[in-house]
Amino acid sequence: MAVPVADALSPALPDDDAVAARRFPRAHGLMRTLEITIPAAVLLVLLFFCFIWPVVYPVPKPTGGSILNAGLPMWSPGHIFGTDTVGNDIMARILYGGQISFEVAAAVQVIGLVVGGLLGMVAGYQGGPLESVLMRTLDVFIAFPSLVLVLAIVDSLGQSELNVIWALSAFSIPAFARVARAGTLRLRDQPFVVAARLSSAKPWRILSGHVVPNLMPQLVTFSLLGAGVTIILEGALDFLGYGIPDPAPSWGKEIAVGQTMLSVRPSLVIVPSIFLFVTVVCLNLMGDGLRARWGVRS
Amino acid sequence: MTPPAAANGASRPGGGDVLLEVRHLVQEFVLRDYGGAKGGVLQAVSDVSFGLCAGETLGIVGETGSGKSTLARSVIQAPPPKAGAVIFEGKDLVGLSSRAMKPVRRHLQIVFQDPFTSLDPKWAVSRIVAEPLVAYAIGSRRERRDRVNALLDLVGLDPARYGRRHPRELSGGQAQRVAIARALVLEPKLILCDEPVSSLDVLVQAQVLNLFEKLRSDLKLSYLFIAHDLALVKQVSDRVAVMYLGKLCEIGPVRDIYRQPLHPYTLALLASIPSPTPGKRVTRGVISGELPSPLNPPSGCRFRTRCPRAQDRCAAEAPELRAVGGQGHLVACHFPLTGGSSTPAESTAVRR
Amino acid sequence: MTRPLGQRVRRVAATTAGAWSAARDEPAPSGPEPGAAPLLDVAGLRVRFRSHGRAVHAVQGISFTVEPGQTVAIIGESGSGKTVSAYAVMGLLPRTAHVFGSIRFKGVELVGRSERDLQQHRGRNAAMVFQDPERSLNPTMRIGSQITEAVRRHLPLDRKEAQERAVELLGMVRIPTPERRFYEYPHQLSGGMRQRVVIAIALACKPALLIADEATTALDVTTQAQIMDLLLDLQQELGTALLMISHDLALAASYAEEVIVMYAGRVVERAAARDLFGSVRMPYTRALLNAIPRTELEPHVLLPVVGGLPPDLSAVGPGCPFAPRCPDAQQDCQRLTPPLEEHEIGHWWACWHPCEGGPGEGGPGGAKEAAQ
Repeated sequence: MAVPVADALSPALPDDDAVAARRFPRAHGLMRTLEITIPAAVLLVLLFFCFIWPVVYPVPKPTGGSILNAGLPMWSPGHIFGTDTVGNDIMARILYGGQISFEVAAAVQVIGLVVGGLLGMVAGYQGGPLESVLMRTLDVFIAFPSLVLVLAIVDSLGQSELNVIWALSAFSIPAFARVARAGTLRLRDQPFVVAARLSSAKPWRILSGHVVPNLMPQLVTFSLLGAGVTIILEGALDFLGYGIPDPAPSWGKEIAVGQTMLSVRPSLVIVPSIFLFVTVVCLNLMGDGLRARWGVRS
Repeated sequence: MTPPAAANGASRPGGGDVLLEVRHLVQEFVLRDYGGAKGGVLQAVSDVSFGLCAGETLGIVGETGSGKSTLARSVIQAPPPKAGAVIFEGKDLVGLSSRAMKPVRRHLQIVFQDPFTSLDPKWAVSRIVAEPLVAYAIGSRRERRDRVNALLDLVGLDPARYGRRHPRELSGGQAQRVAIARALVLEPKLILCDEPVSSLDVLVQAQVLNLFEKLRSDLKLSYLFIAHDLALVKQVSDRVAVMYLGKLCEIGPVRDIYRQPLHPYTLALLASIPSPTPGKRVTRGVISGELPSPLNPPSGCRFRTRCPRAQDRCAAEAPELRAVGGQGHLVACHFPLTGGSSTPAESTAVRR
Repeated sequence: MTRPLGQRVRRVAATTAGAWSAARDEPAPSGPEPGAAPLLDVAGLRVRFRSHGRAVHAVQGISFTVEPGQTVAIIGESGSGKTVSAYAVMGLLPRTAHVFGSIRFKGVELVGRSERDLQQHRGRNAAMVFQDPERSLNPTMRIGSQITEAVRRHLPLDRKEAQERAVELLGMVRIPTPERRFYEYPHQLSGGMRQRVVIAIALACKPALLIADEATTALDVTTQAQIMDLLLDLQQELGTALLMISHDLALAASYAEEVIVMYAGRVVERAAARDLFGSVRMPYTRALLNAIPRTELEPHVLLPVVGGLPPDLSAVGPGCPFAPRCPDAQQDCQRLTPPLEEHEIGHWWACWHPCEGGPGEGGPGGAKEAAQ
């Protein structure tokens, strides 16, 4: 008998009749599945094109274009999206730029989840002075206006993809830590964790066996939603000129460069924008869908 | 100082030794206002003392705000009480480090009210039951598996069918059986049962109660059985203690309490139980008013604001628990109900 | 854990919503008139939900009546369909529920009505009191305002008159110092008091039927006794019919005139309270009675139990739903579904091999304990 998946942070759907809730789950199975699988499929297609396609198919290089090719319009032979002002193939720039966007997003989220999640979990479980110190330190980072902080970091470290990742991680780590701490606090008082403590299980066992598996759904959905934000932030950085260095492409950079020619060649802006938009929407839909399916509280 | 057995009414059925002794237990919670400032102190358990012998079941009854669940948590030191002593197998648990508590916990286990929050939803049943064994590093993998299977059989769950399931694939009764199996795996002497059947349906409740009884006699267990249902508590207990707003009102052998309640609150509880005899309306006038705020309990006897027998002395002086009536039957009341019938002074109203 | 806001609003609406058009203050009915049509007539009610591609038959053809001023209890465990039936009578089921059959209130058919008509029906004709008073009251509104809101939905009163009426209602539900309590918030009241406020709101428009869905389950036993006394006194005063939904058989015995026992979406026994408890027929009812701990019993006695679990409502087949667990089951019980019939005057049951009558203690197949 199918029952909605539940974890300790979000027990089965509330209803007057607890058993009835297990028998009449409100999640509409098929709709929820589509909500997750379609965006996931789209993302997979995008990932394929960004990472695998250039390896198997001779895509023109994104840099070092010849000025003779400059300004070709969309649908030109050999250049599906045309070329930019210096002769680079736009499609190539989109694909390689997408690599950067996805890499940065993935790296930032993973760092956030691992480091931030760990810090938050430890802080939430231990409590006391350790928690205060950790959380207040992270609060400092959160208190800064986001973009200012990121700009400051990139400025001091220098422009490179790696530094962009560090800079954006300064954000994701406190965010994950907050979420992990809140979740851990809730879990810590759950009877099954109390029961584990009463069975004299060691704290690390409790954390790894009980807290982490029940925290993961929340953290994973958070990371999907965060990935979208990260891509946009990275784009904003490039837009401002603080992102990855020239001549490497990225979606934000394309939009930034293209917007000077918006009236003449709108496709320079529109094409990368569409890719950005679709990616973020798919990440959000997946995040929401998984959240609903796993019954995670926001 | 009176010897413990007389002071707290511990009887000795079957000649068992005193297993658990609680002395002057106090548990408080500090309420925080916004901004973390200290808002007020809630004394959930106030100076409670009682004893429990090996092999006996002590039922603790009370309504909302009585402090019975808090009492249970204090006994297992989660969190430790503010004051008082909890002497288990001769050792005072209050103030013990977690390292020193470890051997104690083998003999003192707890079963919670809601099995679905007391079992990790992501763990399989056999892993849940094996967890205490793993924590104490007892036995090899095979030995643990065998022990888990034996326990699952003991609680009426076929290990082959249920071992791999997750809690959400179980019914309430089945999940509670898993919780009981987990509590038994370390061979405890005393199990604290915090409303273990309150969340179960009637028929399943009876099954689980029978299981508790069977285990009690087979494994020679002692229970501290906490419930809000007086009839339920009578089913399983040798002695019963009644709590109100953090204080112990009455404690004594189960038959005495039910046949001859001495405290007006006990009488009110008994009178309020609907009985499956048609048309027998609950008697009126045994209790009035609302539960006072636990933050600001009434002076003197805490029950006086709702007691039909309250006098001036009740407001001035808090009654002590003293022996009245039969052996081991203690009551904290200035004007306990005299022996004889258990009907109150007011006439019973039989409806329709 | 808070319910979604929509649900909370809906619940408050269920007890307060009434006609958007002006409604007249109907005089309270003076009690059952002989030969009058039943107030509530449920016939062949079926409710089906769709879940994960399967149909769950929550209610499978139940029929019962409630006379004006009568107290009827519907008893059942989780999954018996009692709550779903109550919601169906109030028109509160979500759109995912398919309702068939007939629910007639004062002769007017409710099944298939529009939401607008149902809103008129709710609060004015029938009101519901739910289990958890915390979920039924708006925590951000003073309780006085919540009552006046209900009052003014139905009655053309101005603010002052509505306030007076609200204070009057608070007094009627025996809340001390109602003039002061009027201005308090729900969190300042105890559980019992909150439930009284909910009852006051429910009775604001003097409905002919009050449905109490496990209204006292979340309360202490002493408070429960007080609230039940209150409900019955109010019933006498206002002539309201009371439909109690509960899992507590003892509560039904003490307070109801007629008891309906439901199992797996069907009515399995129905009789006047003294007949039901005096001579139990359906083995399921007997099992329920046997399973209740009673103060008359000696301690440490094993209760007679039946093993097993209620059936899966998405896989409904022929035969009595209780047959797999019934200690008295025979061959025909598994194959043929027993119909609910009036085998004795006023005592209906659906069983091929009913018990011999007599109070439910022990009896054949008594102490059978089985693991699932």
